[in-house]
Amino acid sequence: MLSVLITGLAIGALYSAAALAYNVMYSTSKVLSITTGHIFMVSSVAGAFLIGDLGLPKVVGLLGAIVIAIIFGLLTELIAIRRILARSEDHLWLLSTLALATIVQQSIGLWWGTEPRAFPRLIPQDFTAGIWDQKYWLVIGTVALVALGLDLFYRHTLFGKVFLAVAEDPFAAKARGIATDRIRAFSYGIAGFLGGLVGFAAGQLTFAYFALGLTLTLFGFIALAAGGLGSNLGAIVGGLTLGLLSTFATYFFGGEYQQTIAVGLLMLFLLIKPEGLFGNKQVRHV
Amino acid sequence: MRRGFNAVKFAIGGCIAVTLAATTLAAHAKEEGPIRIGWLSSLTGPLSSAAIAENMGVQFAVEQINAAGGVDGRKLELITRDTIGDPTKAVNFAKELAFSEKVSFIIGPVNSGESLATVPILTRAKVPNLIIGTVDELTDAKKYPYAFRVINTNEQWISNANRYAIETLKHDKVAIIGDTTGYGAASAKHAARLLEESGIKPVYSVLIDPNKTDVTDEVRQARDAGADVIMPWSASTGLLARILNARGNMQWDVPIVGHPALMGLPIRDLLNKPEYWDNTFAAGYVSTTYDEQGKLPPNTAKLMEEIRPKLGGTIDFTFWWVALGYDTVKIIEYAVKQANGSTDPDDIKKVLESTSNLEGVYATYTWTPEDHNGFPDSAMVLNLANTFDDGSFKVATP
Repeated sequence: MLSVLITGLAIGALYSAAALAYNVMYSTSKVLSITTGHIFMVSSVAGAFLIGDLGLPKVVGLLGAIVIAIIFGLLTELIAIRRILARSEDHLWLLSTLALATIVQQSIGLWWGTEPRAFPRLIPQDFTAGIWDQKYWLVIGTVALVALGLDLFYRHTLFGKVFLAVAEDPFAAKARGIATDRIRAFSYGIAGFLGGLVGFAAGQLTFAYFALGLTLTLFGFIALAAGGLGSNLGAIVGGLTLGLLSTFATYFFGGEYQQTIAVGLLMLFLLIKPEGLFGNKQVRHV
Repeated sequence: MRRGFNAVKFAIGGCIAVTLAATTLAAHAKEEGPIRIGWLSSLTGPLSSAAIAENMGVQFAVEQINAAGGVDGRKLELITRDTIGDPTKAVNFAKELAFSEKVSFIIGPVNSGESLATVPILTRAKVPNLIIGTVDELTDAKKYPYAFRVINTNEQWISNANRYAIETLKHDKVAIIGDTTGYGAASAKHAARLLEESGIKPVYSVLIDPNKTDVTDEVRQARDAGADVIMPWSASTGLLARILNARGNMQWDVPIVGHPALMGLPIRDLLNKPEYWDNTFAAGYVSTTYDEQGKLPPNTAKLMEEIRPKLGGTIDFTFWWVALGYDTVKIIEYAVKQANGSTDPDDIKKVLESTSNLEGVYATYTWTPEDHNGFPDSAMVLNLANTFDDGSFKVATP
């Protein structure tokens, strides 16, 4: 039973990280990008390619995967967000980010292959370590660090406060001389960094697999909806709840109920508490 | 008046005669043109590795037959469409090939899910369809009279593996693991049903999402349930590798017997340790199994040497895909020859339904008016999963 708990925590941490990446991008752009899960996928494939195929040192693989994920984040903002937001208030970003996510996924499928491929062992450790295996703890630890880092960044740095200002009221922030467009692009870079780091750390758990992105996009969104859009604490709690719930559900009832339970959780929150556990109610004063 | 009536009768008679003659000539002309074969492949997208290898066999057979002068002097014309493994695309291409391209035969599609969608369409279009999907429902001599299966059925894979686990390995505490895809779920249920028919109730049965990142819990549950053999029915390489890794990490040396994907090369790279692939047996074929002297059946060896230069010398994929693709075209050649050059669907149906022991590379085929599954049980074997060598495998020994 302990192994079910650890597996659930590790998977949940991954969902939490996807939800955090959503939040970072959403805070400055009010966009829920379909490419969110793909950042993690790009990183794990890049890591496996750099270390496994090219034989580069693990540190270089990590740095390379993060840089590629950051570039992907910045390109998402440039290609699928910036012009769309400049021209339209409608939710056309849903289509533009879906298009970009599809292009990236299919391109990687064509180049890397559609079968999952191995991710290298990062720390020397025997495979019989059971619940202490690095494939669980690397992702749990990394997500904990990332969540802590984000909190410190937002609360204790001037740049973080600029982010919060843009998230709170972009027009007022712009009136105070903040380059909101640049902050938005920067937030996509941060999401890239976050996704790059966690995607690499979770590589042994997920394998380097071209279709991972869409799964994380969906489950990250469910975690976010459950935890509350805009709340990082909500993202963590939502992700861990979803991970534990789906793992225990699979253990007791079988895998055929895993998706139903996940989407059921989403429906439950949308119907009963649409703002999520820690989200703010959208109140419009008239 | 009488003369006038006769003149009208003569004119009508003449018109009928001219029309009949024109129709006959047209039909004759059609029979003299190239034999058009539609090939619904999934050269890109998921499961493309099987399709790419099958395509090599199909292309090679067409080139070989055309180089030898064609079928009774008529060249084969192959019209390939890439369905990307998508049933919707497969349906659209099947309609295009049948109604616009007016092909005489269709090979494929590659995946059973696509075939389930195209078989009824091709039946209505009266196009002889060579089935290369394993799902049992794809052939039915009454419902789909022009569909003839070249590959084995799913039931043949399962029965073969069940027999090996129970009769050869003498294990009857079976844990069945399927995946949550339509194919995985149906196969797992089928496997459980066949076991129960032979008096064995699986001690553990589970369906797992093929993208689930860790299956340690399920494998542990199988062990706790007292299983002495694991039988996975999934084509998902990732899931199969995770089952092998979980078993290895738990240091539980229980045999794994199941789907041919267990011996696919992509598995090797996903294993934590190479030895995690030991004690693993997969449903395979006599045609791609080495005998005790390390030799392949003569037909396989011949095709392999003929096609090897085209493959760049090394064969780094399962060769039975190539043999299957090759045989589909050779079956068309045989059917047209036996039908005296006719490609009329009813003539082809008649020929194939009276075909007995047609020797191919992949298998020796027999179809009857009642049974359109041409692949014999005797062409199946259990392979040692980790013995891939030059496209073929060693026979399983306990």
